[in-house]
Amino acid sequence: MDPLAAIKVTFFQECEEQLAELEGGLLAMEGGDHDPEIVNAVFRAVHSIKGGAGAFSLEALVRFSHVFETALDLIRGGDIQADQETLKLLLRSADVLADHVRAARDGGVVDEGRSSAMAEALEALASGMGGGGEADTGDGFDDFVFNPVSIDMSDAPAPADDSVAALLASITGGDADGGAGEADAPASDDAPSQTWHVRFYPQVGLYQKANEAGLLLRELGRLGEVAVRLDASGLPLLQNMNPEDAYLGWSADLTGPGIEESAIREVFEWVEGDCYLDIVREGAAPPVAQASGVDAVGDVDVMALIRAAQAAEVPAAAAAAPTAPARASAEAKATAEPAKAKEAALDAKAQAAAREASPQTIRVDLERVDRLIDLVGELVINQAMLTQRVAECGLQRASSVAMGLDDLEQLTREIQDSVMAIRAQPVKSVFQRFPRLVREIAAMTGKEVRLIMDGEGTEVDKTVIERLSDPLTHMIRNAIDHGLETPEEREAAGKPREGVVRLAALHRSGRIVIEISDDGRGINRPRVKQIAVDKGLISPEANLSDDEIDNLIFMAGFSTAATVSDISGRGVGMDVVRRSIQSLGGRINISSRPGQGSTFTLSLPLTLAVLDGMVVTVAGQTLVAPLTAIIESLQPKACDVRNLGPNAQVIAIRDTHVPLIDIGRSLGYRTVTPPPTEGVALLVEGEGGSRAALMVDAIQGQRQVVIKSLEANYRPVPGIAAATILGDGRVALILDIDAVMVPKPHEGGGAIAAPANGGLDTVGAPTSLAKVG
Amino acid sequence: MTKTILTVDDSRTMRDMLHLALTEAGFRVVQAVDGLDGLEALDAAQADVIITDINMPRLDGFGFIEGVRKNDRHRATPILVLTTESDTTKKQRARDAGATGWIVKPFNPEKLIDAIRRVAA
Repeated sequence: MDPLAAIKVTFFQECEEQLAELEGGLLAMEGGDHDPEIVNAVFRAVHSIKGGAGAFSLEALVRFSHVFETALDLIRGGDIQADQETLKLLLRSADVLADHVRAARDGGVVDEGRSSAMAEALEALASGMGGGGEADTGDGFDDFVFNPVSIDMSDAPAPADDSVAALLASITGGDADGGAGEADAPASDDAPSQTWHVRFYPQVGLYQKANEAGLLLRELGRLGEVAVRLDASGLPLLQNMNPEDAYLGWSADLTGPGIEESAIREVFEWVEGDCYLDIVREGAAPPVAQASGVDAVGDVDVMALIRAAQAAEVPAAAAAAPTAPARASAEAKATAEPAKAKEAALDAKAQAAAREASPQTIRVDLERVDRLIDLVGELVINQAMLTQRVAECGLQRASSVAMGLDDLEQLTREIQDSVMAIRAQPVKSVFQRFPRLVREIAAMTGKEVRLIMDGEGTEVDKTVIERLSDPLTHMIRNAIDHGLETPEEREAAGKPREGVVRLAALHRSGRIVIEISDDGRGINRPRVKQIAVDKGLISPEANLSDDEIDNLIFMAGFSTAATVSDISGRGVGMDVVRRSIQSLGGRINISSRPGQGSTFTLSLPLTLAVLDGMVVTVAGQTLVAPLTAIIESLQPKACDVRNLGPNAQVIAIRDTHVPLIDIGRSLGYRTVTPPPTEGVALLVEGEGGSRAALMVDAIQGQRQVVIKSLEANYRPVPGIAAATILGDGRVALILDIDAVMVPKPHEGGGAIAAPANGGLDTVGAPTSLAKVG
Repeated sequence: MTKTILTVDDSRTMRDMLHLALTEAGFRVVQAVDGLDGLEALDAAQADVIITDINMPRLDGFGFIEGVRKNDRHRATPILVLTTESDTTKKQRARDAGATGWIVKPFNPEKLIDAIRRVAA
């Protein structure tokens, strides 16, 4: 990639970081954090974006960030109070700035009306500040003139030549070696030549700031032909001399066509105030003589002095350029061989320090990581097979081979964890989109909403993160649109006008749990139940618990919104959310308290590549049940099992009855169910929270298995989520718990299981876990 | 002899840009990400010229320049400040701290090399 294009990519990456910083800072300020460093960071974020945008001539972005920066600078300086109103404006401006960044990156367009409205509001904010603002920071949008400077690296001139010859050439007008000054001299052959008399008397401050008289005179030489005379009359006796002081002055006659006074002033721009400078055009009235005694200009060889200063040979040169010895010694050190090695080492240290400040990352093709994960999966399987073979050979546990295998197993597990961690990313990358979403929905619905986020650093597999965005977006929309009341309703209910939506992520027993809660009105159960009855989703007689009623909203075709609103409508319901969570091997649950709000809880696997499974035997087949679905396993007693008909049984577990399902029959391995007392029942919980007891013949043990997609390698099989390869090399099928829990129509079954599982649609779509492997 | 430039800027974009322009012009470049980092890198870098940003976390450009000037080995090292045209008060503050000159953003390579030439032989 062309280096400049690469930097542009970096710029846009950095913009994203700055935008996140900006938003985070503004939200912290909104939350009452008055740390000045936050305001500084917020200002810096916009300032950096503007800086880079300027370098790439992104005009619209520069313009908007300039207005934004101006307002932030006034807040930083304490000229504007950052009250809630102001912060809301700033947050919305941050959104517009983000739009500008993305438009600049992707070549899109920004909502011009919104952008200019926001720019105007920011200007109004800036100009409305008290105390008659002035100075440079107050310059408004309209006054701002942007001068794009194109960057063309091919035009870069050669670095400054430090040879004395070049110095000489440039000071004397640049004809010695073909004219060092030709490029920069604003000369035009047609313009009449004229002469300027320049008198230049440095003061001590000039040297203290590391400027050098000789270099400035050389610069002057680039404008035209120059003759320089040294005035050493101020030089005291050696014993009276302070080597740090300034004693010398110069007068120069500069001759050339079209030389403007401003060009000469520009040469001395950086030392203005640190020298006496006098510029007179020849023929103009001579200036009033200054104290320094201009008449005393002597015929000292200036070039020799400058050369001496460069090389630091003559002690007297210290007066002309007191900085020279220090630098010369630094150069001498740098050329010494041992110093070079040290330099390199220290350089590395400096770079290490630089790295420390910014997170140290490398970018790797995702394909390579996936390939590695695949290989590690094979390694895990191979290692398990090897262990089994060794066991079959009858080797002692304590034999060196078996012990070596134990180590191998340990290592394999660690490698697997480490490789999985490569794909892990903090949920922050999804969460950070939501503050804006919340602001926009709040504005659309006229509700007042505060979003609180927790656990953004919680890490989960990249694939999981990518597929979390849509369901979470939908749920947050719902929480605001349906969950929260209007400010007026809230006031009437004795609640603060501002509703709270909380988004939290945490790790819990090998899974990631995400909670979306609101402090709104909660689920209106009578209404939910009525809708479900009206739509024929449940029978009017169904006797449902509160939890079961709440979970009705996950059923396909269920929508509680009286009017399909612009925000959470679109014909997508919670059933879609539930299905997308399920396809990630996750579960979703709701708990709600009337008048106090609702909490949605998502529980997801950290990775889609491995699974903790219970290996079981059913009708001579080896199957794997996802451990996360299993609550407990038990040996059924004859007295606990009741028949509800020829093909349906329930089992009493403590004080409830759950359907008893024979896996062997569900999957078609057998037609006759053996007596339950001869097998083992796995009490499992489905996505909707409903339970069932799955009958298997025996439990072989728990094992982590590598998921291999059945869909990709064979075809979808109802009731089966995926496959894996066991230690003995045989393929074992992984159960799709939800699918096998749903009783087949002819088998009847409890009224409870059906609604809680969202109907029969999951049977035909055992998509859980099947997308990976 | 190849000259070394120490660039101090918290923006990766700006650091990369300076790096590109300076290395193309034949300079050796050492980078620091903020004022504190810059002061730490100072001795190792043995810079002939320092280019620094003003707005930086931890230690800003003013504090950095003061720090450099307090260091006997580097008080004579030219320091150029990256500023925008409108930052007149900032320019003055930078000069008071001991800055040698300034480079106006956005800069092009020519302007940049020009500015370096004005402070380094």
